[in-house]
Formats: sequence, structure tokens, C-alpha cells
Amino acid sequence: MSSDNDYSDEDVDYVFDDDDMGIEDEDSDGDDGMDMDDFKIVPKTTRKAWEIEYTSLAQFAVEKLMADDVEHICGILGVDNSTASLLLRYMSWNKESLIEKYMDNANKMLVLAGAAVPEPEPPRPSRRPPSRKPKSPPKDTFVCSICFDDSPDLISLALDCGHASCSGCWSAYITSKIRDEAEHSCRCMAENCALVAPDAFVRAQVDEETCERFEGLLVRHFVSCAPHLKFCPYPACTNTVSCPAAASKSSLTTVVPTVSCGARGIGSSSGSMTQSQELVKQATGKEHKFCFGCIIDTDHRPVVCAVALLWLKKCRDDSETANWIKSNTKECPKCMSTIEKNGGCNHMTCKKCKHEFCWVCMGPWTEHGTAWYSCNRYDEKGGIDARDQQSKSRASLERYLHYYNRWANHEQSAKLALDLFAKTEKKMEEMQITSTLTWIEVQFMKKAVEELDKCRMTLKWTYAMAYYLAKGNQKDLFEDNQRDLERAVEDLAELLEAPIEPENIPTLRQKVTDKAVYVQKRNEIVLEDTADGFLEGRWSWNAAVDGFDPPQEMAL
Amino acid sequence: MSGICRLRLAEERKQWRKDHPYGFYAKPSKAADGSMNLMEWEVGIPGKENTAWKGGLFKLVMTFPEDYPSKPPKCKFTPPLFHPNIYPSGTVCLSILDEEKSWKPAITIKQILLGIQDLMNDPNINDPAQSDAYTLFKWVHWSFVIL
Repeated sequence: MSSDNDYSDEDVDYVFDDDDMGIEDEDSDGDDGMDMDDFKIVPKTTRKAWEIEYTSLAQFAVEKLMADDVEHICGILGVDNSTASLLLRYMSWNKESLIEKYMDNANKMLVLAGAAVPEPEPPRPSRRPPSRKPKSPPKDTFVCSICFDDSPDLISLALDCGHASCSGCWSAYITSKIRDEAEHSCRCMAENCALVAPDAFVRAQVDEETCERFEGLLVRHFVSCAPHLKFCPYPACTNTVSCPAAASKSSLTTVVPTVSCGARGIGSSSGSMTQSQELVKQATGKEHKFCFGCIIDTDHRPVVCAVALLWLKKCRDDSETANWIKSNTKECPKCMSTIEKNGGCNHMTCKKCKHEFCWVCMGPWTEHGTAWYSCNRYDEKGGIDARDQQSKSRASLERYLHYYNRWANHEQSAKLALDLFAKTEKKMEEMQITSTLTWIEVQFMKKAVEELDKCRMTLKWTYAMAYYLAKGNQKDLFEDNQRDLERAVEDLAELLEAPIEPENIPTLRQKVTDKAVYVQKRNEIVLEDTADGFLEGRWSWNAAVDGFDPPQEMAL
Repeated sequence: MSGICRLRLAEERKQWRKDHPYGFYAKPSKAADGSMNLMEWEVGIPGKENTAWKGGLFKLVMTFPEDYPSKPPKCKFTPPLFHPNIYPSGTVCLSILDEEKSWKPAITIKQILLGIQDLMNDPNINDPAQSDAYTLFKWVHWSFVIL
């Protein structure tokens, strides 16, 4: 595990330091520079503080990266392509570690990776050598060792180990491995033979669809081994995103890596779409946006993954139910049954254990002597503790509900955004009919709605962030920004919902456009300020968050 | 696919009749009308000499999937056996019977049965399939270590 992390960190440095390293690297083998070229990102001058550098790669681009790695290993270790690829797959594409281990004991690595051991070279046979002697070709009839078929037109096939069987059995076996088990390395069918079928062999045995699936499996394996690569999580999308800046876990405490794979819409299966439909999808479909660091939401800016996760967990589990019980009930001091008092006097008798106690001070009723129905024993220690506990959890529940209601409210609004889109579209048509505005001139409405949707997402997550922010100036500033954005968003929403009167259209257009620009500015301010805050380490939390310093004191 | 499966099972049957280890039996099951079902075999495994299983003959049902031999058969003791690596249903948990572990299409029925016979007296503590036998085995094992 730790070696994995080390590797990823190195990798990140590499990309950033590429420019300085280039000079030193040139006279060394220079290969490292070559395969990094693909990761190099043309610096966008307009990049904002809350955005992150990334590139999206199509499947063929990832295959190219794989081929580069394979070639690199071929050159260094002097093995052929298929062996290099088997070795890399076995070592999870960790080139440094592979080269080191291979130099240590080449044969052992070859056997472990399931590659064929070259015949003349090994000075001593490796521990578990696959029987290298190719079985003498069948003289009269070949009998497949798997299906025991012996028809004369049978084609016999074997890997370098010589364990022959017919092509039909091979194809059935490999197809079932790939399609049923999603396994990219198919070992020889003979018992205890660990030889893996080389890619070319696999491709030759299966039909086109399975072959595609095989390529996909190889790419997925490669991507899952590289910390700076991630597969697009949208259904039927085969793109990959490369984001070296968010590759290590520690970087996730300073950035929110929201990325997009470049494709749009939901992919159709096996080209049932016409070309024009494809174009429409490209133009109107939703962007494949996702967070590089986690899987909880497509875009949880401005709050970092760890805090967003904490918040969602809190919302989902029943910790607040427990808090409600705590705030509204008390436990019988003797048998600990939960009791909700819904009337009557303070003299309680537990239904279960018949213990008699005072609801106010929680002490046993016998101590109250003759002071029936009024409790003035406020100095009892046990009573004070019990009351303190209760008021604390009551305050905490109220605090949580304050943030949760607002968070849920924005989520609900975002869900209704589709309705708003439809409504706005109708309004835009209406405007074109009732006024002299053209289609292009009424687009301001649509833009405003899109902006509104974006800001609601930001606002939603600011509440999760505010809930966990430790009290202090920083939190006040954050909440000021949040309030400004919220006010602007609600103003804009009101404008968009307002009915259209033909005579007011020009003023409405002016107002909406102005407001949309203002809202966009406010949104950028919130995002930028939070992003800067993360980079500067300005935020502190009131709960323990992964990757951050523990809170000074628990505010809750 | 099914062609390979039936061809292979027919040959397995032939090989078994020609030669099989002493005390074992294996035959395709018979339906009520007397027709033979190649996809389901009734087999018997004798307990090894010098073990607690000596003298017993343990019955199993082997069920072959349509994509056998790409996939392994399912082996089930009837009745179930009290053993750490046998599920309460009687199904045997063994690496060579798991397509994601050591199953290979070249493994024959004879090899499977010998493998199960070995497993009986040599349980695999790392892969328990039922809790009662596992707990007892672990406890006994542990007390031996202490003593």
C-alpha cells in the first residue's frame, strides 16, 4: 500500500517538474520524458483557483500509453512485446519495481507473470518450469485433451508449454473467462500450468465482440493501476481522465478535482443512433462531469471530498434520530428504558421496572420526601449532569437541522431545475411571439437558468461546509459570502419565475442579464475564496476530518 | 458449447470405466424413466486408510454446468458432512473447484474425487465454509498447540 502511494507521489512530481527535469533527462535514456509527454497539459491561462488541470483521453489514447510503457520495457529488458505486456500486467504497471525485480531474478518474474521462459538462456531451471518440450505433433490422430474429440479436421493449438487442445475448446474457455469472469489473463488449460495466453493468441481465438471486451478489460486494468488516471463513471462511456494534480490522497485536502471526460449524453449501445441523433446528443446532452477524488457527487465544490463525505454520512445514518430521542426523551435511571413524557406530573413510575423517580432532577422519588409535585433540588450533581446533557443535544439537533434544511432545500430546487428549464423554454417562445425579440435575443433566459442551477449546487455544498467549519472569523467571512450568493440567487430565481408582460420585456431582459452576471460573480467569489482557503490551509473544522489536523476543541 | 460438454463427459465416463481408483464409484444419474443424465453424476468417495474416515463411503452429487469444462462442476455431499470446508448444504469448498482459483479445464473427474478425498482429512483452515466444524477444529487445533 505504502509503495503505491510513494509511486503516485513521485509521479505527480514528475509531471510538475518536467520542465526542469528535461535538461538532465536528455542525456540519460530519455524514455521517461517520452511517455510523460502525453500527460503534459497545455497550461490554460484562464484557469481559476477552483479549477484543476486535467486532460481527457479516449480509449485509443490510453492504449497508446500502454503501448509506450510496453515498448519502454521491451527496450530495457530485451524481451518481446507480449512478454513485456504480461510482466507489466503482473506488476500492476509499476515499471520501476518491475525493472528492479526483473534484474534481480528474471526467470522467477517470467514464471510468476505467466510468460514463457526462453529456452537456452536460463543457467538453472526455475522452480516451477512449465514443461517446455513441445509435445511431438500427433502422428496419426490428435485427440483434444479437453473435449476428447478426435475428428481429423481438428486444429490443435498450444501455448509455449505445449499443452495442446483443439481450437474450439480454447475459444470456449477464453470467451467464458473474458465474458463471464471479466478476467484479462487466461492461463493455460492444463492443470498447474501457469502460462498466460499472450494477447495475440487471445485475439485470434475469440469473436469481435469478445475481443473488444478484452481490450476494454486491459485498458481498465491499466487505468485502475495508475493513480493519476480514472475511468469515466458514466454508463457506456469509455473515456479516461488524467489528472496528475489529484493523484495522491493528500492532494484531496487542498483541491476539489471536478473533471469532465469530454463526452456528452448517455452513450447508446452498438450504434443504434443515427448520425444526426448523435450530433443532437453531443450538443444537448449533459456533460460527463465527475469528481476525480470520490464518487459521492458529480460536483461538490466548494467543499473537499472528505468533508462532503462526512456530511452525507451524517445525513444518511440515523445519528439524528438518536439525537431526537436524546432531546425528547429521558431514560429511566434504573432500567434505562427510554421514556417520553407526554403529560402528567413529575412523579414518574417506570412501566417496566416500577422504579419511582423525579422527571425534573432524575433522582429517586423517595429523596423528595413530602415535597410532592415540585422539585427544588437543583443542586444535586446527578440531576445537573443529566440536564446539561439534554440541553446540549437539543442545541446540536437544532444546529444540524438548520444546515440540513437549507442543504435539502437547494437539492430539491436543483431537482426541479428540469421543470424550470421546460418552463423557461415556453417563456422564451412566448417572448418571441409577443415581442420583436429574435431567437438569439431570448437566449439570455436559458443562460440565466443554467447559471442558477450551477449556483444552487455550490450553495447546497456550502451548507455542508459551514456545518463543519470551526467557529471564528473565517467562518463568519465564509457565511457572509454564502449569504450574498444566496440572496443573489433567490433574486434571480424570482425574476425568472415572474410572469411575462409584453411591455416589460426589455426591462426584464436587462434585469435578468444583470442579475445573472452578478450571480455568476458571487459564485466565483465563493468558489475562489474557498479554494484559496484550502490551498492556504485557512479552514479549520469542528470535527475530525481525514487528512486535516484534529480540531482544537470540539465545538459540539 | 454444449457439444464440448457432452463429448467430454462421455469420454470421462469411458475413461472411468476403463480405470478408476480403488473403492471409488462414479456414474451418471438415472431419471425415473431409466434414461441417463450425463449432466449429473452420483459418486462415492471412500475414507482414507489410517484416518478417522476409514471404512466409510461418502456419497456426493456432481452437477455439471452447460459450459463445463470451462467452468467446474458443483460437488455436493448427500447428506452433508461435518467438515470445516463443506457448506451446511453439503457443497464442497475446494480451490480446484473454483473457476476464479485453481480450476482448469484439463482437470478430470478422477482428479477432483482424489482431491476431495485428500481434503477430508486435511482441512484448509483459511477457507472455512461452515462455522460449527470450523470453530471446533480451530479450538482442538489450538488446544494441541497449547499442550
